[in-house]
Amino acid sequence: MTLVATAALALTACGGNSGSANKSELKLYNDKGAWKPFFQQLGTMSKSQIGLSVNPVGYTDENTYQAFIKASLRTPNKPDLFTWATGGQLQDLISTKQVADTSSIWSDGIDKGYLPKNLEPYFTFDSKQYCVPLNVAYWVMFYNKKDFAAAGITTPPTDWNGLMADAAALKAKGFAPFYQTSILFSFVWFQQLLIGTDPDLYNRLATGKAKYTDPGVVAVMQRWKSMIDQGLFADPGSKEQPADQMKSGKTAMTLLGTWFNTSLVQAGMKSDSDYGMFVVPNVTTGASKTQVAFESGPLCSLAKAPDPAANTKFMKWWIQPDAQSTWANSRKDVSANPKVTIDDPALNTVAQAATGDQVTLDNRYFDATPAPILTAALDAFSGFLADPSSYQKQLQTIQQAADEYWKSN
Amino acid sequence: MSAPGAPAVAAAGARQAPGATAPGARPGRRRGRGNWTAIGFLSPAALVVALLLYLPFLYTVVLSFTKYDGLSSPQWVALDNFRKFFSDPALGSSVRNTLMWVVGTTVLPVGLGLLIALLSFGIRGGSGFRLPFMLPYALSGAGLGVIWGFILQDGGAANDVLGALHLPGAHTDFLQHWPYNTISMIVAWTWQQTGVNALLFMVGLQSIPKEPLEAARLDGAGGFRLFRSITWPLLAPLTTVVVGLALVASLKTFDIVWVTTQGGPGRSSETLAVTMYRDAFVSGDYGYGSAVALVLTLTTAAVTLAYLRRQVKTREGLG
Repeated sequence: MTLVATAALALTACGGNSGSANKSELKLYNDKGAWKPFFQQLGTMSKSQIGLSVNPVGYTDENTYQAFIKASLRTPNKPDLFTWATGGQLQDLISTKQVADTSSIWSDGIDKGYLPKNLEPYFTFDSKQYCVPLNVAYWVMFYNKKDFAAAGITTPPTDWNGLMADAAALKAKGFAPFYQTSILFSFVWFQQLLIGTDPDLYNRLATGKAKYTDPGVVAVMQRWKSMIDQGLFADPGSKEQPADQMKSGKTAMTLLGTWFNTSLVQAGMKSDSDYGMFVVPNVTTGASKTQVAFESGPLCSLAKAPDPAANTKFMKWWIQPDAQSTWANSRKDVSANPKVTIDDPALNTVAQAATGDQVTLDNRYFDATPAPILTAALDAFSGFLADPSSYQKQLQTIQQAADEYWKSN
Repeated sequence: MSAPGAPAVAAAGARQAPGATAPGARPGRRRGRGNWTAIGFLSPAALVVALLLYLPFLYTVVLSFTKYDGLSSPQWVALDNFRKFFSDPALGSSVRNTLMWVVGTTVLPVGLGLLIALLSFGIRGGSGFRLPFMLPYALSGAGLGVIWGFILQDGGAANDVLGALHLPGAHTDFLQHWPYNTISMIVAWTWQQTGVNALLFMVGLQSIPKEPLEAARLDGAGGFRLFRSITWPLLAPLTTVVVGLALVASLKTFDIVWVTTQGGPGRSSETLAVTMYRDAFVSGDYGYGSAVALVLTLTTAAVTLAYLRRQVKTREGLG
């Protein structure tokens, strides 16, 4: 298996981008294969506005994509533009000294109000900026309005007790209050409960300054288990898509990134009439600000890309309102550009709430956690969902992976 | 067999002898030129094999002694990856699941394939009987995983059918708990592989000479006695191939597990091949993943060689 994969990587690396300087078409490698039509739409627009078209090369398997990009860094055939992840993964990529510096694009973008200052730290390493935001998403709660009405809930909850009361009312009416899955996105409720309880512990955990076996983390797992025991979650083993579960009304609430809006629209639901969104209140009332997880996918260029000037030209164009308005509205998602207004009023409202003064953003667990620890954690959380009483064993398993990682990093 | 063949070779050699000593001929040189011609014809294929098989294998061997994340240069760590592998707490469950796959997939698809071949051999409409068992073979491992993932998911078709028939298992979360997840995936694999094994055994049955079967029947053998004493021994060469193939396939079980459960929940259904993929491509620890790949390759090679050697010895003993 590995042998074949290695050979395939070598071959794909050899057969990479064969281009020369002064390009008129840029290949944009990405791990968002389902977004091909949106990339193409932007490509048509960029062709007419700056003379550079975009040919998206989308992958749907994250692991294959990452292996491909890593392999391409070791060959003379570099990709034009490519997407990546923030956090440790971006830091690892930048440490190769192959990623193009985008500090000037950032300073210009912030000056013009195209890029928010609060995103800059996630793209900054050693005082320099790298890549630009491909997208941004805030992790908020989507809820089925019919389910809420059937349970007698008129407005979304504003505090944790209210959320739990609503969940109990929904359960009493036969709905599964919250969506949950044991595959890939098994971390979602760990992330939410931890940032809503102790955001400092969340950040220290991501940097190896706290342990998964610390009492604060154990308490979060106990709360999560208690919620499972109360029957507040949908079946984590179901392979039915979350959008379908929401549409059928089987599941009343789904906690995901704002990109989930695209899935709901594609499933045939109407924003504001069929479903709404709200920022999840903190678990504890001590924190002065509400904690919201966010993610941002970087769009990167390599210093030795086939045509670095063309890449820079495209990235400068990419962040400006015209391009971002089309990009965000076509996907029915929010934009990293604060000047962009989304056609969807409910999405606009929740995005404003998530970026307001009363909110602190926390980098998504998936991006904030180093890959080997994340792999162990996703497995452990899925094990926990299959057997909630195993939470201590699962935390110890993650901590073993964390000890191993931080020993040499 | 070899004795009757020897004079023929000698005769052929004798017939060629005059030409070899013809005036002006230089045997050594001609042989040398022939060798170069052969090497010339062989080299493109040999180069492709070296490039696509030997080179990646050697690269994997080298990587297995390094710490390598795919970005920075590999760092030599000697045997650290192997020490880590053999002390990994998940190794036990990975080996346990792989052994379940080895036993399950060498017994069930092979046994059922043989049974179907025997039941349908020589009867009118036998091919029609075998056809439904052949159809699933058209599916890829990934396709199989997707289909059975939906069937076996919580509240899926398997639960519904068992519930409708008032059978136990209507409320079992097949993919959520060990050993149900591994067993149900072995059942799915059996569903796909049985047909092709039946086909192979059919070929074997057709190649058995009629004389010994007729002689046995004249001596009064029939039914299971005929199968045990005549058919089964004569099928042995083919059985060796079928079991050997099943053995190798089971040791490297990956696609159906990855697509159906990704080795979870909590690594409970992981096999050695899934461990390798997880560590190399999901965690991005290519050095460690290569070490797992090397252990898996050596295990597969050792088990297969031991099996084949034993089979050959047994047959020599019989012969």
